[in-house]
Amino acid sequence: MKFLAFSTLALLLLSVEAVLVKTFGFEVTRIDVGLALVVYAALRCTTVEGAFSAFSVGYLLDVFTGRPTGLYPALAVLVFLLVRGAGVVVDTRSRGPYALFIAVATAGHAVFAVFFSWLTSAAGSGHVFSLSGVPLQVVLTTLAGLAMWPLLKKIEPGERPEPGLLR
Amino acid sequence: MFSFFQRYRELLTVGTLLLAPLVSYLWTGHRGREPNIVDRAVLFVSAPVQSVLTSAIDGVSSMGSGYLALRGAHEEALECRTGLAMAHAELNSLREAEAENARLKALLSYVEDTVDQEIVARVIGLNASAQFQSIRINRGEDDGVRFGMPVVTAEGAVGQIVRSVGGSSDVMLLTDPSSHIGGVIQRTRVRVTVSGSGGGRPLLLDVVRREDDARDGDVVVTAGSDGIFPRGVPLGIVRSPTRPSVGMFLKGTLEPSVELDRVEEVLVIPVMMGIPSSDLGKGALK
Repeated sequence: MKFLAFSTLALLLLSVEAVLVKTFGFEVTRIDVGLALVVYAALRCTTVEGAFSAFSVGYLLDVFTGRPTGLYPALAVLVFLLVRGAGVVVDTRSRGPYALFIAVATAGHAVFAVFFSWLTSAAGSGHVFSLSGVPLQVVLTTLAGLAMWPLLKKIEPGERPEPGLLR
Repeated sequence: MFSFFQRYRELLTVGTLLLAPLVSYLWTGHRGREPNIVDRAVLFVSAPVQSVLTSAIDGVSSMGSGYLALRGAHEEALECRTGLAMAHAELNSLREAEAENARLKALLSYVEDTVDQEIVARVIGLNASAQFQSIRINRGEDDGVRFGMPVVTAEGAVGQIVRSVGGSSDVMLLTDPSSHIGGVIQRTRVRVTVSGSGGGRPLLLDVVRREDDARDGDVVVTAGSDGIFPRGVPLGIVRSPTRPSVGMFLKGTLEPSVELDRVEEVLVIPVMMGIPSSDLGKGALK
């Protein structure tokens, strides 16, 4: 059920983002709203449900690029696993750590995306240049994630995962 | 066997979700896949949402700009009248030149390529990833838009169609690192390749020999040799060409003719591989 909620929300947010980015002319950077959902799923869902949610968010992002290649579903699941691993040792119940995770995940996601694009494309340097927009992307995505926090709390599962080692 | 799957169910599920798309990506690289039924469903749902949002935002902004435009409209109208009179004079002389051009072409038995009516489309979104430079337009397969068709505005080239479904299409912009267009410097007729270098960066001038004549401010238009764009569509203006101390080629950038992040309406030219779509499927070509 939460998988469907995440997918629907991701579809809506990506549609709105595509229009806003066009309207305000963000030529250099983007807002990775989908990543905020992936991070939230990693921190608050069960492993299988979260992985499916992350995959669906990545799949939608892939479709929205115009040339779906399979890169973004894989990266979304990878980010999901890394955040989930890190979430075991950090208290993630408040907004602060959530925002921090989004910031790190956005930067990591961009670097991974550029790395894989560089690996498979003849025009590798062009993709590397797109890293120049990452700092702004991190800030905007973190702010978008924080703005989405109240909405995401509404699809939070009843049972939370076991607390981490340091809790 | 069943107990193995049962025991490692989680691991196998997550592993499959991670590795299946990754292997698919590494296998196909940057080519992308044909839109499947899920892709089509996603685009079928999202395109109308984007169209409605775009119309709403445009409506609000045009109301605001309409009010602002009323201020000082009288002075502007006077300027426009003067400009219109000058444009009429210029149009008359251009008509003369066109008629003369047609007569000369007829003398040389020159056959003009016929192209179907261009498809007017509205930009409804920019893609959500910084790695791919593409826009979405509100015309698709149902309107005759097909993969590979060139997309232009009155100012010049925009890109080419990389995916077309029912009512929407995606256009890879000239700035995408995978974009390579054949061009020609209008002044000297030197052939060049214009490549994208990622969002927010100028286009790159490729494969121009260092001894070729290329200057700052030269206009580059499409050569029509790449099988994508017709001849003579403006691509951009050459900026700061330099000849490095070593190497065969000149280095330079190109300022795009079209402000690609601000483009609102575009024209899709119904030709594929340089062939008008009306001629496709007829067997022999002219």
